[in-house]
Amino acid sequence: MVVSALAALRAGRLRRVALAALALAPVALSSIVINSLLPAGGGGLGGALAALLRLLGATLPATVLFATTEVDDLLNELEARGLGRRSTLVVGTALAAVPRTQARAVEVIEAQRARGLDTEGAWWRRLRGLLPLVAPLVIGSLAEVEDRALALEARAFGAPGRRTLLRRLPDSRVQWALRWALAAVAVIGLAGRVAVAVR
Amino acid sequence: MIVLDEAAYRYPGAAAWALGPISLEVRPGEVVGVRGANESGKSTLCLVASGLAPAAIGGELRGRVLVDGRPTSDLRPHELARSCGLLFDNPAVQLTGLHRTVYDEVAFGPCNLGLPEAEVRERTRTALDVLAIGHLADRHPQRLSGGESQLVALAGLLALGPGYLALDEPTSRLDAERSDLVARAIERVARIGVGVLVAEHDEALLARLCARVVGL
Repeated sequence: MVVSALAALRAGRLRRVALAALALAPVALSSIVINSLLPAGGGGLGGALAALLRLLGATLPATVLFATTEVDDLLNELEARGLGRRSTLVVGTALAAVPRTQARAVEVIEAQRARGLDTEGAWWRRLRGLLPLVAPLVIGSLAEVEDRALALEARAFGAPGRRTLLRRLPDSRVQWALRWALAAVAVIGLAGRVAVAVR
Repeated sequence: MIVLDEAAYRYPGAAAWALGPISLEVRPGEVVGVRGANESGKSTLCLVASGLAPAAIGGELRGRVLVDGRPTSDLRPHELARSCGLLFDNPAVQLTGLHRTVYDEVAFGPCNLGLPEAEVRERTRTALDVLAIGHLADRHPQRLSGGESQLVALAGLLALGPGYLALDEPTSRLDAERSDLVARAIERVARIGVGVLVAEHDEALLARLCARVVGL
């Protein structure tokens, strides 16, 4: 967590990462309730805090990664380090799927509204408005997958051999050493936990 | 030259023929139009002319389709992409959505071919210049107008260096002003010797661009 926070600070994205971490607030609250008030929890405030720290430890590195790294930089580096072009595309497509689906959902909602569907107001109205959204969203997304696959073929994606990479991220010796040191610390920490558990 | 000689095509699993039989030729630097009602086979004709049907999607082709004398059935999809590019009506589909600049998006095709970096950069710059969209190079591809997106998609195909392009209703989603942008781009492409097959509803656009118009 400390390393994640320092990395976010160094990249000038601490505020963004902190805001993303706020998304865990409902989980933290429910953890406190369960551990403090319910007999089944039983961990007290200390237990709630430990659970929250574990959750932050698991999610912060990924949050920092995506807050500080452009998707195309990430894909380039993956490919440069030996991941095949198709596997890289799968990773990229998965990462791009969320904003793409959001954009498509907005299009479908606007189209439904233009046809008179009520998607605003009380929560039950909004919930009812979701149902006609699902079918066009899912079917449209599936149809688009076929078109996208064809469009990739039209751009020689299936060509044999390695792709040319135009952009590489700078990777200093210090960064390289820090990366391996952190990996070593993680392995040592894990081994220590296993040793304690076994004893 | 692209030659369709009594070409007919049906999609995999379909009983009915979606196209043909049809014969037509597209010469280098020539713009040939295709008009027809919805479901008349315009999109299928573009797929067949580009060779992606059946090479990439399967199905059955009868007759002959040749690009510069070579049957498209003898070419693999990435070889077809260097011979005849296919532009879809929806640029959102054609653009990868994985790049942060228009320059990188246009360079995607040449990068796929594994060309030396200097050649990738030269092809990318040339494609942007031919379509007069060099000023968009540093823009984010997701923050372009519909017309600009279509031009970027076209540049992405041009960067592969094809001798021919098949354009499937390139202006169907655009207003008059944006359609004019695309029409001027097609004129520029033809001037550098690329043969263009344009499937369109817009009769005025076909009359403006095309030496010949084929009805389906």
